[in-house]
Amino acid sequence: MVGTPVLFIAIPLLAAFLIPLFGMVWKESVRIVPGLVLTYLLILAVNLLNYVTVNGPIVETIAGWAPPFGINLVFNAFSGFLVTLMVFMGLMVWLYSYRFKSNVEYEPARKYFLLLMMLVTGSVGIVLTGDIFNMFVFIEIVGISGYALTAFYTGRDSAEASFKYLMMGSIASVLLLLAIMIIYSQLGTLNMADIASKMHLMDPKYKIASFILFVVALGIEAEIFPLNGWAPDAYSEAPGPVGAAFSGIVVKGAVYALIRFTYTIFDLSGSFHLILIIGLITLVVAEVAAIRQEKLKRMLAFSSIGQMGLVLVAFGIGTKEGVFAALFIMLNHAIIKPLLFFTGSYLVYHSKKKKISDLDGIGKLAPFTSVLFALGAFAIVGLPPFAGFWGKLSFLVAAANSDMILIIALILVVSVIEIVYYMRVVNRIFFFKRSSSLLARRPTPNAYIVMTVLGLAILLIGFYPDSVFGYLHNAANSLFDKSQYIHSVLTATIQ
Amino acid sequence: MDSTYFQYLDYAIYGSAVLVILIGLYAALVKKSLLKIVLGLSIMEAGVNLLFVALGYLKGGTAPIFSDGYDPSQVMVDPVPQALVLTAIVIGFGVTAVALSLVIRLWRHHHTLYIDEIKNLKW
Repeated sequence: MVGTPVLFIAIPLLAAFLIPLFGMVWKESVRIVPGLVLTYLLILAVNLLNYVTVNGPIVETIAGWAPPFGINLVFNAFSGFLVTLMVFMGLMVWLYSYRFKSNVEYEPARKYFLLLMMLVTGSVGIVLTGDIFNMFVFIEIVGISGYALTAFYTGRDSAEASFKYLMMGSIASVLLLLAIMIIYSQLGTLNMADIASKMHLMDPKYKIASFILFVVALGIEAEIFPLNGWAPDAYSEAPGPVGAAFSGIVVKGAVYALIRFTYTIFDLSGSFHLILIIGLITLVVAEVAAIRQEKLKRMLAFSSIGQMGLVLVAFGIGTKEGVFAALFIMLNHAIIKPLLFFTGSYLVYHSKKKKISDLDGIGKLAPFTSVLFALGAFAIVGLPPFAGFWGKLSFLVAAANSDMILIIALILVVSVIEIVYYMRVVNRIFFFKRSSSLLARRPTPNAYIVMTVLGLAILLIGFYPDSVFGYLHNAANSLFDKSQYIHSVLTATIQ
Repeated sequence: MDSTYFQYLDYAIYGSAVLVILIGLYAALVKKSLLKIVLGLSIMEAGVNLLFVALGYLKGGTAPIFSDGYDPSQVMVDPVPQALVLTAIVIGFGVTAVALSLVIRLWRHHHTLYIDEIKNLKW
């Protein structure tokens, strides 16, 4: 091993607070330090993920208190997979925003990268922690840095979007605290593994109440309909890379928390169906809303919400294949949606209203970004041979094996809606006549690198899906092995 | 007070804490002024914190400190909720600070605090 899981939280948190100090010595370092940190974390994550597949989960106790009393971090195949994905996305977002728009100046860049490091810390913490109150703290870290990043541009609408997000987020945090309180008052423990092993002792009344509170509270962060009112505004008002960070990093953390609560902690029989149904409603409503959008980023935001709905449906199937499909869709979403946000925000760069109709014929002016946008659009609707196809295929196979024929039909109908609104944009980009006043922005060199890397990742997973199958299978198995999770946490020794 | 009429008073703290949460929720959802919404969110957090501390309280319990004068026959209150509430208060303070700074920015742009007049985005 090259390190321990606690470094995923300690290093970015330390870096976030040291960035202003480094900036006093050397101004360029506020941009470079986050990149170094994220590169190191990515190497560490890949190493630990390979270690975990061979040697079993790593449970780290913090401050010398053995579970169930102290806080512990769990790095197993499931959480490790998500951490790797999040750190990779963090690195991509960092590289893309290296000299993005107003980050060129020193003052905003310092704040931006500080908040970005906090966002990564919080999201990774949500996934790694084994303690529900600690998870609440990390959700709040994500929340506060998210509010600040949404309001990063000093335009009038960004503050409004941010305030909306903050209102929803504060109510979510109150509900989350109430749910934690109910569990603590009934079981007297905050450790997730300990709660899971004692869950059968809890009165069903309290169990249902706390589960519903958890679902509502986490649903606000995970953009479940009807709790996602903040998301389209936050995505469209925040800087482009922040939208990508929300869809690639933050939502993953919230969905992880939701899944951990449903699969590991609570043992309610109907909870899978609840996840399935809220996923379906989210999916249908979001995709129908996406088709009506005139602004590109709002459309992408609704599409992102829809994809998360699809992930929840796949988790709600409740079989190992379903979890596999859900993780595959999450992986695809994490590489494709940021590509769409990155290319999209360059395509609408000079447009005042950021409307889709302003993109007519931009394909000739900005061929590179347009082609990559089209690649992302094809991939996310699930056309072969791109990455999205395998995710959707494994989802359909999982649903078919569980005899959920109506759900398959619904997903295919929704996919048609998805094709319609993405192809509408691609059609406008390449085949419409362009107006003479149309301008295209040349991406910065680092943006070229990021887009190329993400495009290649889409093609790589599309042509060689075997390259990720192993990790996904391990992750799905580890989520299902509840007794091993409980055992490995409760028998952990102090290092 | 060992009259049975008064034993329900032990639960009054829970009831009032829930009432505080509901008052805060009402203010956050119904009021039109941004400042009142922020106040409502703070009140809601205060209610949750009150409820949490009340849950950890034992009648006649002392502070959970193991020191020289520690008497083993004394009951102690549960220290965990107090630690958690301290954390939650700090978080709530941070969120309120961010909310107020956003309110200041909205005021500078719109010169009003009423959300009916700040509707560039669909609510």
